[in-house]
Amino acid sequence: MTDNRLRDGLLDAVTLVALILVLLPIIWVFIASIRPDADIMTGGLIPTRFTVEHFLAIFARSDFLVALRNSLIVGVVVSICTVLIAVPASYSLSRFTYLGRDFMGFLILATQMLPAVAVLVPIVVLIRSLGLTNTLTALTFTHLALGLPIAVWMLKGYIDAVPRELEEASIIDGSTQLGAMFRITLPLIRPAVIAVGTFAFVLSWGEFLLALALISKTEVKTLPLALQTLFDPYSFSWGEVMAGGVVIAVPTVVLFLLFRNQLVGGLTAGGIKG
Amino acid sequence: MSTQSPETYPRPFGEVALPYALIAPAIVVALAIAVIPLIYALYLSFQDWYLLRNPQPVWGGLVNYQALLGDAGLWRAFWRTWVWTIGTVVVEVALALPLALLLNRDTPMAKAASALILLPWVMPFIVLGYGWRFLLDSEAGPIHALLEAVGIAGNSSILNDPNMALAVIIFISGWKGMPFMVLALLAALKSIPAELYEAAEMDGASHWQRFVTITLPSIQNTMLVIGLVLGILAFYSFDLPWIMTRGGPQDATTILGISMYKAVFTDLRPSYAAAISVVMLLVLAVASFLSLKLRRRQ
Repeated sequence: MTDNRLRDGLLDAVTLVALILVLLPIIWVFIASIRPDADIMTGGLIPTRFTVEHFLAIFARSDFLVALRNSLIVGVVVSICTVLIAVPASYSLSRFTYLGRDFMGFLILATQMLPAVAVLVPIVVLIRSLGLTNTLTALTFTHLALGLPIAVWMLKGYIDAVPRELEEASIIDGSTQLGAMFRITLPLIRPAVIAVGTFAFVLSWGEFLLALALISKTEVKTLPLALQTLFDPYSFSWGEVMAGGVVIAVPTVVLFLLFRNQLVGGLTAGGIKG
Repeated sequence: MSTQSPETYPRPFGEVALPYALIAPAIVVALAIAVIPLIYALYLSFQDWYLLRNPQPVWGGLVNYQALLGDAGLWRAFWRTWVWTIGTVVVEVALALPLALLLNRDTPMAKAASALILLPWVMPFIVLGYGWRFLLDSEAGPIHALLEAVGIAGNSSILNDPNMALAVIIFISGWKGMPFMVLALLAALKSIPAELYEAAEMDGASHWQRFVTITLPSIQNTMLVIGLVLGILAFYSFDLPWIMTRGGPQDATTILGISMYKAVFTDLRPSYAAAISVVMLLVLAVASFLSLKLRRRQ
């Protein structure tokens, strides 16, 4: 027994060291965001003085605030639309049998496997010909593709697990099929709905390539693009760039830790967009 | 449920149409963002469209594909992409396997670490890309200082060294993708029955023998399939090498995703870029086919 405990203790110590090593780059980013620039440049590895000046500096920049607002708008709209589209679609795949169902399910899943790089050119050309370059509308619409397929397949799994009998009982009581979906099934899968909505938000929040290709004007830039702007080659501060990175990272990390169990399920279920 | 029962009477139109109506918006999105762009990319790849010469696309037949075959820079990017892809997956497996073995225990520490280890996977490329640029910066970067002390980096950042930049970014790419492999390997490790190890221990097998005869065979399929998925992702990378080096120095980190992007936005040749995407998709098709075959065998 003591032998096992000793072994576990040792392995736990090794685990801790390995974890710190793996996360060190991320820890350093967070630390640099709260160190004075002078210390970052010459102050050695161990932080001794802390400051919030970098955060104050970036939140005083109008371009950064505009980008923050744009990222929030796009992320929230993408999140809501993903849920509004995915719930009925997954319900349809789970509860009905009809001609073409499996093909449509496959089509939605295949969208997930398609990398953004592969369809970037046609999307840019199509959006340009629609006159929608440099609009949040175009960015929002393309960001729908990021989380929707996972959302549909995750929710389908949850709806599959809700017994049909519950809905049938409600239908016998005079409710329509859709009424049963709203009154019976939807409340039961609410945690999963919140999780996929969150996931869609997080994916849109950090998305870089589509934003880079579709947006060039300051007033419609999102945070990942604004971070590039902070990195002004002539007068930039590492502290401010890292603080900007932290602003982008924090919601992602917090939401991830809150919804870890559902998201890990979704990731392993075939969602592979990083 | 009426929609599930055998058809004994013609169902009203509303009932037949309902499931289609429910799934229609998702299908519209899939068509608009995946299917139509795919078809359009194929169409564009047969156009001759160089924005400086002919602002409107004209039919060009195989002109882009011919140019592509004779483009020495693109060929280098093609082979570099394979180095990048295989290198990334190798780093992912090399980091993930020991971590997964370490985390496959029931202590609170192992459980907490299994959650936190996912952070590199979860954090956006833009944050990690600039984070690593800071860490490797020749004036401020702590990792640069370390590399300089051991003689791997000189005065300037290792990212400016054409011989080293690719290797460094491959390592970072593998570090970011590694958690997904850890997750999959942990699931595979947890499904190995403990009796197998107990029996082997009674037969006097050493730790190493148990690892080689029990653990490795039980997780190698997962490793293959997830390695393939991560490989496909790596093949289509753009964000990390773009954020870190814009494909430089001297094209040292230009992989196909970056060649494609530059063909549109720097060279203003959208139809040529479309041809590059089509070729990349053909590679994806072959890789997916292989992955399906592997899954079947599993």
